[in-house]
Amino acid sequence: MHGVKRVKYSREALAAKKERELAKLKEYQSLTAEVLARKKTRDLTHESFDLTTKLLQVNPEFYTVWNYRRNILTGRVFFERTPEEINALLSDDLSLTTSLLKQHPKVYWIWNHRYWCLRQVPDGPTEADPNGWRQVYWNKELFVVEKMLDADPRNFHAWNYRRYVLEQMPVKRSEQSELNYTRRKIEANFSNFSAWHQRSKVLTSMWEAGKLDKIRSLEEEFDLVKNAMYTDPNDQSVWIYHRWLIGTGEDKDVLEREITSIRELFEEQPDSKWCMESLVFYQRLLLRKHGKALSVEIRKRMESECLGLLSKLQTIDPDRKQRYMDLAQGGLPV
Amino acid sequence: MGSALDIPLHVKYIQSLGENKDDLVYHLTAHLRLNAVYWGLTALCVMKHKDALDRDEMVEFVMSCWDDEAGAFGAHPDHDAHLLSTLSAIQILVMQDALDRVDVPRIVKYILSLQQPSGVFAGDAFGEIDTRFLYCAVNALSLLGHLHELDVEKTVGYIRRCRNFDGGFGAREGAESHAAQVWVCVAALAILDKLDEVDVDTLAWWLAERQLPSGGLNGRPEKLEDVCYSHWVLSSLSILKKLHWINADKLIAFILSAQDLEHGGIADRPGDQADVFHTIFGVAGLSLLGYPGLDDLDPVYCMPAGLIESKGLRKDWEALPRKTSP
Repeated sequence: MHGVKRVKYSREALAAKKERELAKLKEYQSLTAEVLARKKTRDLTHESFDLTTKLLQVNPEFYTVWNYRRNILTGRVFFERTPEEINALLSDDLSLTTSLLKQHPKVYWIWNHRYWCLRQVPDGPTEADPNGWRQVYWNKELFVVEKMLDADPRNFHAWNYRRYVLEQMPVKRSEQSELNYTRRKIEANFSNFSAWHQRSKVLTSMWEAGKLDKIRSLEEEFDLVKNAMYTDPNDQSVWIYHRWLIGTGEDKDVLEREITSIRELFEEQPDSKWCMESLVFYQRLLLRKHGKALSVEIRKRMESECLGLLSKLQTIDPDRKQRYMDLAQGGLPV
Repeated sequence: MGSALDIPLHVKYIQSLGENKDDLVYHLTAHLRLNAVYWGLTALCVMKHKDALDRDEMVEFVMSCWDDEAGAFGAHPDHDAHLLSTLSAIQILVMQDALDRVDVPRIVKYILSLQQPSGVFAGDAFGEIDTRFLYCAVNALSLLGHLHELDVEKTVGYIRRCRNFDGGFGAREGAESHAAQVWVCVAALAILDKLDEVDVDTLAWWLAERQLPSGGLNGRPEKLEDVCYSHWVLSSLSILKKLHWINADKLIAFILSAQDLEHGGIADRPGDQADVFHTIFGVAGLSLLGYPGLDDLDPVYCMPAGLIESKGLRKDWEALPRKTSP
């Protein structure tokens, strides 16, 4: 259980609660016994199907009953119906999951059933257009998942589902449009790590496919991140994303430019842990990758600054002191 | 507020679970029952009160969850087989030295049948995929002594594809890093001796940043602290040998403050309702942090360390030294 406050009941209140629950419990147990008994005899009737609906509305985490419901559909119902009727049934089941998800947006079993329903969509409406029905569903699904992400932009079930929908749609959305979506989410809240993560995936895919000029794209990303950094320098999402953009530090100019940029921010925010952490990491990266191009004096100065920053970090971020001490010991000889 | 871990109270709490047959929530969570028994037993073992629950009764209960059609275990009698409950069943039977009750070849067949072409595992025949199930499969096969039947390269290949820009791992390819998924992937890699797939410096950094000013740990950036992350984040750090990268004393204090000192058990955070899930993970965290009076826990298997070691399954992880007093 998560986020359920401990409640202290008076004796009377506790007694009343118990009484209410006892009635609910008896009903629940009798419904459960009925459904499981029918399942045991492989009863695939419409009556049984309706009983699963009733039970799942009370307890949508009862995975065995979701299984039973699906078995009724595939074991009998789908054989007896036309594709149009199957489509209508699936639509009903999707509506059932939508209403359940409103109250239980993070229950795996409900999401599962949604995935399953979409896999069952028959070819149609015609032979010439076998993906027509699917496309309609997928468009609706994207709409549903966007509403869920508006309600909770960090719900990873919804993000996973979004990725699945985008991947499965017969007529794909462009990756550029997904990039735009992540930008909207990020601009709504720079702390939305889920959106930054999605952006990292879309960009990687586009770079690998050659759909986007990586160098120019990286410039845009650095701009976006700089904006976010200056708006909220305490936001870890941005700094973690920035480190990914820097990557292996092959580009000396970019590395030096970013170090300068962070240094400027650091001057405005002298207690910024993230500025310090990043200055250490990037300067050491510069030393490792491009140290040979620098004079001994500069190298010594950089490493000395890193040690100074690591010392300061031990004071301003004492919970992670040991990490900074490890990093101080792990510096490169210059 | 300096409280200590009230072991006798939590032992009583675990013993009492399932005694109140009139509790609605108890019945509404039947789909987690076998998992709950595993959580309770493991917590008792770590608190050195393994015998607080009757062994034979427990073993019989586990066997009553056998789904003979599928050849694996469901969460409760008459519930369908699933990888989650199958792992819990095997873990309980190993801890109770009753693995001989199980049809090992059948279970191995069930587990292997759930591997997908991509390398990930489904939870059951209905196809939900998640790296949690990959971990269940690897752990279970390892405990059953049948890990050699697994296609390691295929399995590791999938985990590799779940690696993210922050060094962490998600529920499936493309999914965001989440501490619980990080743990299942890192622990699976540990069992498979493939920890070289992990970017340790980056991931340990991301994990260390889960500690909030309250001392508690969260599961992802900008989320709330929760005692269960004391296991997932901590166990991951322990496997990566970077447990010292967080403030142990503050985390211990946080876990202890989430105890229900009236009725027993540990909650997700102070003031909330306790449950057996947060009880084991709180106790697991305390054990890894060297809290006195507890037994060692293996962070890869989330089972008693001595038992795992006796089976020759101990991997190269590090916990904090056990204190002799709080």
